[in-house]
Amino acid sequence: MDRDTLDLALRKFQRELSAGTVSLALLAVLAAAPGPMYGYQIAKTLERSGEGVLSGKQSALYPVLRNLEAAGFLQSHVEPSVAGPPRRYYQITEPGRTALNEWAAAWRATRTSVDSVLEGLLP
Amino acid sequence: MNAPSNGVSLPRSIPDYLDQLRAALSGADPALVQDALYDAEEYLRSELAEHPEQSEAEVIASVASSYGAPYEVAEIYRDTEARVQTALRAPKPAPRETALGRFFGVAADPRTYGALFYSVLALATGIFYFTWVVTGLSLSVGLAVLIIGIPFAILFLGSVRVLSLVEGRIVEAMLGERMPRRPLYSARGKNWLERITNMFIDPRTWSTLLYMVAMLPLGILYFTIVVTLLTTAVACIAAPLLVGFGAWDNWYINAWDMGSTLYPWQYPIVFVGGVVLLFATLHLARGIGRMHGLLAKHLLVKSAQYA
Repeated sequence: MDRDTLDLALRKFQRELSAGTVSLALLAVLAAAPGPMYGYQIAKTLERSGEGVLSGKQSALYPVLRNLEAAGFLQSHVEPSVAGPPRRYYQITEPGRTALNEWAAAWRATRTSVDSVLEGLLP
Repeated sequence: MNAPSNGVSLPRSIPDYLDQLRAALSGADPALVQDALYDAEEYLRSELAEHPEQSEAEVIASVASSYGAPYEVAEIYRDTEARVQTALRAPKPAPRETALGRFFGVAADPRTYGALFYSVLALATGIFYFTWVVTGLSLSVGLAVLIIGIPFAILFLGSVRVLSLVEGRIVEAMLGERMPRRPLYSARGKNWLERITNMFIDPRTWSTLLYMVAMLPLGILYFTIVVTLLTTAVACIAAPLLVGFGAWDNWYINAWDMGSTLYPWQYPIVFVGGVVLLFATLHLARGIGRMHGLLAKHLLVKSAQYA
């Protein structure tokens, strides 16, 4: 199997992996934040904690933020900015915090079981 | 990643980047294009404001690895949209085999009831939009001789843009036509005078005004069609039962005997006619919804692609 096929498979795997975890990471970032944050700030915060979660481009965040808002886990408001278009500030809601707790538990359970399967396989 | 090999040069400025993103998204839903452009512009301008020591070209070059190159961003948005649509949309009812199934299946389509409700609501929103636009336009023209005329006209056009976004949300919720969730941000680094001029020469401003004026006659038409046909259908279905059970025996209107308006052999014909009319009305309402969704998209968002 050549390198390109492997790369392609890796990227597909990363994309599938990040599809669910990005929502969890976004909720976590916003729950830890002292105040509302806008898209760029959230992207930069995630970038500092490593590219692992996103496994790709930060543009993927915006549609996810919008979906989380539509689901009622986030709320947002718009403020004008001097730098460009008006910014949309996001903030976590009560249902969002509940979801975060439940998702975090699900994440830990998944991580533990995957780790235990991988145990001893990796150098 | 394999960059597209058609020799597209790297974007050097924000308008450049947005143009390439728009080109990469060509053929996608215009509402999605508008959202993607809005998000990208927010990110790029924030990045630029964050690094005042770098030139615009340098910032754009660094963004390709963090936010993504235009073609990558386009791919992400197309991808997410496809995934969300399948997850959030009500599943399409299985296509019916028989003509009879197709005719009556309209009652099981949630889109039908959204369109039905929209047709009735259109009378109210139509009156409101029409009044707003006519009042605003006449006041703008009338006040033009005074000092407050121009600010008033500008405020009025701004309010029309907000209304257009609101109408878009209503249309998407009830008719299922994808509409933008973010305002169109076209004033790239222009000063306020240019932004205002832009608002006046933007064809979308005028097509939105046209849509809002047209909503009055359309709203009256939709409302009348739906209410008249539904009432007739329900009356036809109910009449044989009521007359048959003698609900109107000995009821007279000016010596006209209501209890004998239908002969017994007419009962089944009127009843079946009523049922057929009811379902035909549902088909018509769904058709109106689909057509109006397209109209709204053309007049409220279509030109966003070329802004």
